Amino acid sequence: MRERRKYRPRFHAIRYKGRVRLIACFIAAAGLAVMAPAAFADDAVFADDAADQLIASSGTPEPATGLADSAALRATVYGTPPQDIAPMPAKVPLVEINMHMPWARPVPDVFWFGRDLRVWFSSQDKPAPLAIVISGTGGDGNTTVLSTLRGALYGAGYHVLTMPSPTFPGFIVSASTTGVAGDLVQDGHDLYSAMQRVVAHLPGKVRITDIDILGYSLGGANAGVVKSIDASEHKLNIHRAVMIEPPVSLFASVERLDRLFAISIGSGDAGVERLYQKIYAQLANLYRASDRVHVDENFLLTAAAEVLNSDAEFSAAIALTFRIDLMNMFFAGDLYAGTGVVVDPGAPPKVGDSLERTQQILRGKPFSEYFTKVFAPYYLKRRPYSTPESLIAENRLDIIADALRNDPDYYVQTNSDDLILDKAELAWLKNTLGQKIAVYDHGGHLGNIGDRRQVADMLDMLAGRWRGAASGIAP
Amino acid sequence: MRIAALALAAMGLCGCAPEGMIIHRMPAETPAADNAAAIQRAASLAAATEAAAKATAGVEARGEASPPPLTPADAPPPRTYDPWEPLNRFSYRFNARFDETIFLPLSNGYRRVPSPLRSGVHNFFANLAEVDTVINYTLQGRLGRGVRALGRFVVNSTVGIGGLFDFATKLRLENPPTGFGTTLSKWGMHPGPYLVIPILGPSTLREAVGLLGDYGTSYGVNLANLYRGDVSWALWPLNAVDQRSNISFRYYSTGSPFEYETIRFLYVRKLLLEDEGLHKKSARKRRAPDLPAGE
Repeated sequence: MRERRKYRPRFHAIRYKGRVRLIACFIAAAGLAVMAPAAFADDAVFADDAADQLIASSGTPEPATGLADSAALRATVYGTPPQDIAPMPAKVPLVEINMHMPWARPVPDVFWFGRDLRVWFSSQDKPAPLAIVISGTGGDGNTTVLSTLRGALYGAGYHVLTMPSPTFPGFIVSASTTGVAGDLVQDGHDLYSAMQRVVAHLPGKVRITDIDILGYSLGGANAGVVKSIDASEHKLNIHRAVMIEPPVSLFASVERLDRLFAISIGSGDAGVERLYQKIYAQLANLYRASDRVHVDENFLLTAAAEVLNSDAEFSAAIALTFRIDLMNMFFAGDLYAGTGVVVDPGAPPKVGDSLERTQQILRGKPFSEYFTKVFAPYYLKRRPYSTPESLIAENRLDIIADALRNDPDYYVQTNSDDLILDKAELAWLKNTLGQKIAVYDHGGHLGNIGDRRQVADMLDMLAGRWRGAASGIAP
Repeated sequence: MRIAALALAAMGLCGCAPEGMIIHRMPAETPAADNAAAIQRAASLAAATEAAAKATAGVEARGEASPPPLTPADAPPPRTYDPWEPLNRFSYRFNARFDETIFLPLSNGYRRVPSPLRSGVHNFFANLAEVDTVINYTLQGRLGRGVRALGRFVVNSTVGIGGLFDFATKLRLENPPTGFGTTLSKWGMHPGPYLVIPILGPSTLREAVGLLGDYGTSYGVNLANLYRGDVSWALWPLNAVDQRSNISFRYYSTGSPFEYETIRFLYVRKLLLEDEGLHKKSARKRRAPDLPAGE
């Protein structure tokens, strides 16, 4: 039986600026202006109790909510503890590049700020291999996780280029050919085109000896697909791909997150309002009890340890973070595809229009609705022989299964308690990749990125030194 | 030269940046140092939490009267009072552009200045603001804090060589600043309508009046003739750049079309939470549940 780690509130949440984002988002989004009528009184299920019951009834070593155990939930929220982080370089130069993509669609009014694709680049001053790293769902090109990976890669002598996820609104607006994000192959092609353009215009004298590609979470799947596209088009000649904690089936993974939302927060908007009220009261009481004069970052970080206690609360934080990213993608997709779920295709919102109501509606919408109302109609119209089932099947890593199995240059790192995978999917990854996968016991989703083991293995994989999990030396 | 700079700025503000690529050289990241700091900070936060827990336990043990805790039903409505929304949205957009084209490049450039020099500048301005802090703590009737602020001012102005060094904090004489906005809140004023001030950013009517009050105080006291003397023109821009370089916020880095709503929500909730702290001794007034927060 796997040992379960005992967690007490810890403050590794503070590592870089970004981890705070998750907690801030949690507190923030919890209340994002829900003006639901007082209808939630008859919404009998109290989210917490429901989730706690589920957790209690599920026995110890099995995943708690049917999705993940306590340790995995906590690791997912808190991220890698700073004392476990691999050695990092003292200084990493950083350039932000804003670039116009010639194929970009006209920029809608509400996205006036997103005309250019924004990527980040750190260059070595000697000839070096280039590592391109793709962000996870909804992430821009400079997330906390990317910053950690950038440090590790730069320290190991790579030029590092970090790219946003194709599901990030900034990417959808500036570099997507469709505006409807979430299709592995289409997003792969868009990413691939954007990468070529960026790599061709890197500022300064950059001498690139080789190109490798990495990505975490959804970005991991994107990285695999981009490498396979490159294998037939040869425009970048990508050498190795390391897919860090990728989903196997996109839609199965997001549905798991939606279920987490339904269980821990409750479906629809009322649950979000209830969560906001609860957190507000908690924060107010903590603030009154403290001797502070300002609600600042230190207060929020201390408070987070009090606010986040039960599995249900950790689940809520994870589910809500994902929902916030989904809201942006949903809005953009609906706007571009003209599907009219929240945006009137005849009168799209203008710069000065209030989006409060739209935001409120979207907060209650799960991914399944994005799929049935925006994604599927859009792609079914453009792919004559497809069905909703075939669209789902095309968004599995199966589409590159042959390459994953036979090409020695694809690698995967994942965790056995990653909450975006189920047992069958993990088994599929292990079977398909054979010796080219490293599976760690603990870390939840992204809760071990940057730790010594993960970084050492990742660098071995990139350098072609990786000889299977057996040879991995534990620190 | 000056005309060219103005033209560039105007172009940027109007949104017609030159085609192609825009490159910002960012300050270098320092992951090793950040990580070491994170480990240290985690330890100190954990210690602070334990101390706070002990303090609350002590208060409870002494049986001191504490107001009844807030329940979820006491939370202000999620909707924020924003009657000037069109104007605010315009200002928000202006601020985003101003920040992107002028403010952020300036503050990024400023961050290349050696850090001891920058912290000197930062401490200097913080020390100037201490005067306003003393006055406002006094107006709020928090005399203990007022005296501490005065102590800080005296120590930093003398031993700290005119405020360039923050010796008071080293002597563990810590005290957060306050301003006239907080005083107005203490006197019972609600945050009022949400207001986005050009260049400065999110605020409410009360906080805006507070800012004017703070400015008036500084101007009236006119410490070392800085505010009305020959160098006063340089004071505000330098102060602004110093403040901006200490804030990691970046307009639209979320890429979200809902950023205006999100920031408004967060900002006003922060104010309301701080108000809860200010009025913890007085009985909580029940609000009409359908009033938007802040009104």
